Amino acid sequence: MATESIILMYAVGLLLGLAAGFLMHRSDYCMAGMFRDLFMFRQSFRLRALALQIVLTMLAFEAFRLLDLLPLYPFPILGAPSLAAIAGGALFGLGMVLAGGCVVGTLYKMGAGSLLSASAFAGLILGSGLYAEIHPWWAAFSRATTFWEGYITVPQLIGRSPAILVLVVTAAALPLFLSWRTRKLWEIKSRVRGYIQPWKTAAGLAAVGLFSYLLIGMPLGITTTYAKLAAMTENLFSLNHLAGLAFFQATPLNVVHPASQTLLLGEFKVYWRLPVRQFLITLAGGTLLGLASRMAPGCNIWHLMGGIPIFAMQSILFLIGLLPGAWLGSLILPRLLNSRQT
Amino acid sequence: MTTEMEKIIEVDMRGQVCPSTLLVALDNINRNRKELSSGMVKLLIKTDNRDATTTIPGTAENMGYKTEVVPRDGFYELLISQQS
Repeated sequence: MATESIILMYAVGLLLGLAAGFLMHRSDYCMAGMFRDLFMFRQSFRLRALALQIVLTMLAFEAFRLLDLLPLYPFPILGAPSLAAIAGGALFGLGMVLAGGCVVGTLYKMGAGSLLSASAFAGLILGSGLYAEIHPWWAAFSRATTFWEGYITVPQLIGRSPAILVLVVTAAALPLFLSWRTRKLWEIKSRVRGYIQPWKTAAGLAAVGLFSYLLIGMPLGITTTYAKLAAMTENLFSLNHLAGLAFFQATPLNVVHPASQTLLLGEFKVYWRLPVRQFLITLAGGTLLGLASRMAPGCNIWHLMGGIPIFAMQSILFLIGLLPGAWLGSLILPRLLNSRQT
Repeated sequence: MTTEMEKIIEVDMRGQVCPSTLLVALDNINRNRKELSSGMVKLLIKTDNRDATTTIPGTAENMGYKTEVVPRDGFYELLISQQS
């Protein structure tokens, strides 16, 4: 495994991150948009790709587990289910809609020159730092509301092989996927340069997730790095305060995978003249994202692309919280935006 | 940008991200619905949000309008007009 060398681990993480960022940018594979569009515009086109990605990841992880090729199962950091995951998921859902992107979407949009995403990015760092202030209290709440102690996944809880659940989910999803194929619902007409249909990105991301699991020992994740950035930033102003907080002393190392390649498409431009209101909304959204991803703990990438495919209960609770959060965001965002501003 | 026959209303939303791009576009379509339907007005939207080049034309076409997407230097122009 690449974890034997820290440099190799970062190199592998960077490569996988670049691959994921490339695919996501080319397909507009924005997870915030997937959930927001479902509630705001009743559109589920990109959500179909996410469903495909989850099922493919599920099949890949399980196949490699059965072949005894996974380094650790379930992967590290996941814990027993807790109400903290639902609360974190709800706040995350609200935050990503307001921020106009999730933790990764914010990065690749910022890489494409979006100042609004840069504002959300600043919020993410701020929120991650804010969490450190409430960590002891929130950790106590999380422990107090933990149930089924000692069980991380549904198969562990019910004492059955994950293969059975994977088969059940696949059997249920397959007719649906085939029906979408018959009705030509997998592809959309796009006129942008270099567009990749989201179903192809879904398959690519499932492969990236598998490689990450095999080489680094866990699927893609990112938000711990935001927390570290917050510690570094605050250290510039208030030496020893934030870095001394219990949260930062217990934070494991994680992998950064930001990527953007708009220069290749000749689309990199920065536009300054934007409504101040939109900067404030994305800043607030980013702050909620940073805070929520520590509270859950974990972001949408971690839970939806990693935890859900192995039926991690923490991830299922995160998704249960995410849905009403995204719904609420979709409800209030148009009012906050005051769309007559252009 | 006007001619004797038609007027082009330009909406520059470069720098904005979704969903504000679609919401602002919808707002402009709705505010100019009569003029757009009569063919007197065309809506020219400038955006650098790749997502908007799919969502805005898709929504406008569902509303019965014709759309064109033209790549420019670092952004896209979306032209919304009455079906000919």
